[in-house]
Amino acid sequence: MSESTAPVLRAEGLVKTHYGEGAPAHAVRGVDLSVARGEFVAITGPSGAGKSTLLHLLGGLQRPDKGSIWLDGECTDGYDEARWAVERRRRIGIVFQFFNLVSDLSVADNVELPALLAGVPPKQARAEREALLEELGLTGKERSIPGELSGGEQQRVALARALVNHPPLLLADEPAGSLDSRGTREVMRLLSRFHQRGQTIVLVTHDARLASAADRVISFFDGRIVDDAALDGGPSSGKGISGVLELKD
Amino acid sequence: MRATLRWAHSDLRTHRGEALFLVLATAGIVVSLLLAAALFGYATNPWQRVFAQAHGAHVTLHTTGTADAAKLARLDGVDDVAGPYPTSSLTVASRGSRASVELRGTPERPDVGRPLITSGKWLSAATPDGVVLESRLARALLAAPGDTLTVPGTARTLTVVGIADSAEPRYRPGEQPGLVWALPSAVAEPAGQVIGLRLTNPADTEYTVQRAVTVLGAGAIGEVATWQQARAEAQNDNRLLGQVLGLFGLGALVAAGFAVHGAIGTRIRGHLRDIAILKAIGFTPGQVVRVFLMQHLGYALLGAVAGAVLMEALGSGIPGRLGDAVAVWQGLPGQTVTLFAVPVAAVLFIGAVTGLAAWRAGRVPPVPVPRPAAPPAGRLTGVARRALGMRVPPALVLGWRKAFTRRPRSLGTVARLALPLLLIVVAMSAWTTLDRFHSEPERMGLPTALSVRADATLGEQETRALLENDPQVAAAYPGTEVAALVPGQTATIALRGLGTAREPYPFTLAEGRTARGPDEAVAGQGLLDLLHVQVGDWVRMTVGDRPQILHIVGRSIEPENAGRVISTSLDTLRANDPTLRPTLYQVRLEPGADPQAVADRLTSEGLGHLDVHTVTNPADGLSPLRAVVLGLIAVLALIGLIELLTAIGGMVREGERDLLALKAIGLSPRQITAMTVTAMACTAMAAVLAAMILGLPLARWLIDAQGRSSGIGTGIAQGPPALFLLGLTVAAVLGAAALAALPAARAARRRLADTLSAVA
Repeated sequence: MSESTAPVLRAEGLVKTHYGEGAPAHAVRGVDLSVARGEFVAITGPSGAGKSTLLHLLGGLQRPDKGSIWLDGECTDGYDEARWAVERRRRIGIVFQFFNLVSDLSVADNVELPALLAGVPPKQARAEREALLEELGLTGKERSIPGELSGGEQQRVALARALVNHPPLLLADEPAGSLDSRGTREVMRLLSRFHQRGQTIVLVTHDARLASAADRVISFFDGRIVDDAALDGGPSSGKGISGVLELKD
Repeated sequence: MRATLRWAHSDLRTHRGEALFLVLATAGIVVSLLLAAALFGYATNPWQRVFAQAHGAHVTLHTTGTADAAKLARLDGVDDVAGPYPTSSLTVASRGSRASVELRGTPERPDVGRPLITSGKWLSAATPDGVVLESRLARALLAAPGDTLTVPGTARTLTVVGIADSAEPRYRPGEQPGLVWALPSAVAEPAGQVIGLRLTNPADTEYTVQRAVTVLGAGAIGEVATWQQARAEAQNDNRLLGQVLGLFGLGALVAAGFAVHGAIGTRIRGHLRDIAILKAIGFTPGQVVRVFLMQHLGYALLGAVAGAVLMEALGSGIPGRLGDAVAVWQGLPGQTVTLFAVPVAAVLFIGAVTGLAAWRAGRVPPVPVPRPAAPPAGRLTGVARRALGMRVPPALVLGWRKAFTRRPRSLGTVARLALPLLLIVVAMSAWTTLDRFHSEPERMGLPTALSVRADATLGEQETRALLENDPQVAAAYPGTEVAALVPGQTATIALRGLGTAREPYPFTLAEGRTARGPDEAVAGQGLLDLLHVQVGDWVRMTVGDRPQILHIVGRSIEPENAGRVISTSLDTLRANDPTLRPTLYQVRLEPGADPQAVADRLTSEGLGHLDVHTVTNPADGLSPLRAVVLGLIAVLALIGLIELLTAIGGMVREGERDLLALKAIGLSPRQITAMTVTAMACTAMAAVLAAMILGLPLARWLIDAQGRSSGIGTGIAQGPPALFLLGLTVAAVLGAAALAALPAARAARRRLADTLSAVA
């Protein structure tokens, strides 16, 4: 089956330029990337490096100016916005820095909505939601609205929302960016736990401590990948800082 | 679908107020459009129904008694005739009220112009003094079958055996005699005869009248009444009411459409982040569009159904003529279609307007990216710099700038706010014009309040002395009114001689000058239109067999007879016919006098020789309109309020973007609040000014167009008093400032933790 062999996500030659005020900003300039099933990849770099834009491109939230993306070996070049929306229901879960929960919906509705969108029967959606919230320690908060929760709690709800459809791929954009150290630890513990169960995760962060939880760390600078290192074994490529360091060793 | 429903449901829970407004606005629009439709239906249809059932005559000709009217039956295009029947003029009295009537001798019930018996029965030889009264006349006399009518000045009595509807011009006290059918034997001394012509092609009416006059000779023709005249007269007041309501209904529909569009647009701007999240978790653009469209169509549908049900269930219970109209309309054939079509059209309109806003919602990017910044607002103007330098509070300067710099959007806000205000200005103008019919009737073509007819026993001097003796009578103008044939002999008009050279009648002139010299006259708009002439032209008409040539030197405002009136002085008519005696006296009262009280007093002082009527005021029939106008102003004010809240919401949200920057440069929260309040007040001010600049001429034009088409003529329009306009301005500006104060203050004190939410 292709599922076992093809990478969950593959990107080639991605380019994205923002045209805003003043000069155009080259956020992503030619990125090739492949994420295998079950991998936990951290993309790190200073702020303004274009990490978030890259993640948005991978999730179909923005369209690249050039380049292609394959999901499970399937090319997405011909996808329109609606098709990407459908992919986000089933194959991709996304967690944002600012939680981005729908402010008018209760916690329960926020989590169930993607399941209902994916066509899961309401009863099953509810069961999934109950199981996830329990696992994330949010039992009893179902009827709260997001504004009533702490940042850590909101991020856990967002995580539950991203995972309710068991997507093969989870994209996390600075998930601890607006949390205190306790909230950060909590979120990282959860990500690690889901990863151990086989969840593929792509995490964007500027925090090296978070990145250390990943199997593989990609350094991103000025819209390009400057280093790609697997933490458990040897370097996967000879280029970049890890390559240089290795030479000096 | 389930996800969509879930979102819509929770959105309804959190925005109940908005939903309620949309439902109420739609219901209001549907009700006012349905009322307009009902009035239209009511105005056109009862007469049409009577005319069809009665197999009505298209032309009714009064001729001299000796003319061979039967010849007319052989004219080309005449399908059938009624009569000729002998007629005589009488004054009858019943229970203290009098009416001049035309007694028509009919041996059997006519087939053309057949009287439709509504109560009692038709004439029979068993009651030789029996009569059938036309229903409006019967109502005026409060007569019912079995009653006895007296003929003042004689011992003669008539017994009412029946009441019947007729499609001929209806009875109007002092103007149009009522119709009474009697056996020919009861018409002892016929003064003339009447013949009704039913035509094969109703469009040939004018031509047929012309032929009839040629066949019989102009001298033999008295008055000509056509079906168009009768219909126009039957429809007049209600049609105006229907048009006004329809106009405002449409105006309200457009204003509400804009309000809905603005509200949804602002909602979408406020929800940008939520929409982006919805898309990030898998809503397709189509689903987002559908959610918004479905929600608002749902509210509109609910409102439309509520409006239609309300109208159907309670409409006929509205007091006054509106209720009558609805009751009649409910029995008409087209009603069901209208009842469905109007709400459906309203829902579709709102759907279309919503679609536009929803489409924008669908295009919101799935990531809340900063929009390419608003077009550079430009630098502070020199004036603003100088103002700041002169220590004008910065909040005022910045607020002014905020209101007017982002051009397209601030223009849009001003325009949307100006629309309901503009309609309010138009409604206020309509109200003021209606009001002036009562407060200053002399400026609306009604300088006199009473019309008096004296019988033959009183001479001119005696009558005037009797009238002017009354302390509250300012002047009594002798006069006469006859029907005259116009050139081409296609219709009759009213020729009036009023006042004398020594005491000219105070006509209300809209154009030209008063008639002073011999053969000079003033005419109403209806007459000018009918004859295609202008002020300054000479016209020739025929009174009996005498020609009368008059020079029209002015246009008077003529509320009567659809404006088909030409008026000159009594002296001019006397020059043509020295034997002419005044038949009526127009009485002008002292300011503040009660016409009805004076009329009663004069009647009793006249000892039965005087027939006194108060002049009918065309605005009397329009009194339901005043309530409607008030209601409309309330609805429009509500729409304006919603627009205002929308604009405030938008402005406060826009302000959040700059909040931190403003705080950083050292403005206090109070100054930031004052800035928003100033901006809102400036916007409201601009909207009010725009509404007045556009609304006042528009109102004048609309009212004049209405006056022109109804024959009264242009020149009756009256703008609202300055005090009203000032009140409107103050209410709008202060209201805007007051409404903006609270949300602006809350926003200024908010601590921004989440900069993304302010991005939108």
